[in-house]
Amino acid sequence: MRSLHLLRAEGGGFVPPSSNDFNFPSFFRNSEYFTKPILLVFLSVLMISIFFIMASRKAAIVPSKLQFAGESIYGFVRNDLAKDIIGHEFMRFVPYLFTLFVFILTNNIFGIVPLLQFPTMSHVSFPYVLAIFTFAIFHYIGIRKQGIRKYIKDIMFMPGVPKAAYILLTPIEIATYLITRPLTLALRLFANMFAGHLLLLVFILGGDHLLKGVIGLKLISPFAFAFGIGLTFFEFLVQCLQAYIFTLLTALYIAGALADEH
Amino acid sequence: MKPNDDGAAWSIVGYLLSGLLFWGGVGWALDHWLKTHFFLLGGLLLGVSASIYLIWLRIGRNSK
Repeated sequence: MRSLHLLRAEGGGFVPPSSNDFNFPSFFRNSEYFTKPILLVFLSVLMISIFFIMASRKAAIVPSKLQFAGESIYGFVRNDLAKDIIGHEFMRFVPYLFTLFVFILTNNIFGIVPLLQFPTMSHVSFPYVLAIFTFAIFHYIGIRKQGIRKYIKDIMFMPGVPKAAYILLTPIEIATYLITRPLTLALRLFANMFAGHLLLLVFILGGDHLLKGVIGLKLISPFAFAFGIGLTFFEFLVQCLQAYIFTLLTALYIAGALADEH
Repeated sequence: MKPNDDGAAWSIVGYLLSGLLFWGGVGWALDHWLKTHFFLLGGLLLGVSASIYLIWLRIGRNSK
């Protein structure tokens, strides 16, 4: 305990990373909205546009490396996500799914890009907006395809169930379609990005702080940094996986809305 | 794991959550109004059972 006090006094007190590290001041004094996450979103749109315009501009039978890279991402979303899940009507939804996947992926990976180093999706409003889009789209498609009465009836009343069970099951179905689905979609992405960024902050800032401590602590510091680097690679996996899951679930919800019987 | 299995896993989580939240919420509200202490537990159990039944109907029944 005493040594802990000594350490504190010497190191000037370590401030653990918290949710405050996610709030950025505005770049301009006269507008409070233009902060780092907003800048990153604009940057991502710019980068994605430039990359895919370059990749598709000189499309050839024998693709260049750039065209190959662009086409493999597109092919992955089109074949492995859209075609496998949605079925024969999948082409209509490829533009949305592709945009969604690339946008989330780019913004997630910003979390480990040197100098940028902030995953935009760790601000909950961004996943909320994307989830609202998905929510609106899959309900709209379901209503367009099946008519509003049949669509709602299919959601609320499972066929082949004794009538009394509807009292139990119908509220759960309604809650799932209207609340749980969009909410979990947004929060899963947000929480993964938030926690991942916080974890990296703990190890990197902690390592940095240890480096300023006494000689014993300096020796521990490299381990903290090594862990931080290891976790960065792990974070890359999580970032890709979350972009994939968001797109996958969107495709599944669309497929569910298109199917005649759930 | 095929994409559809992935999706089944996530929709199971969704149903379980909805069941717990809705019937647990009803139980909590009854406890709150009637000043009792057992409706919350009963609601949560009811919600989980109903969710599992629903999951079996939606997913288990079709994948023979």
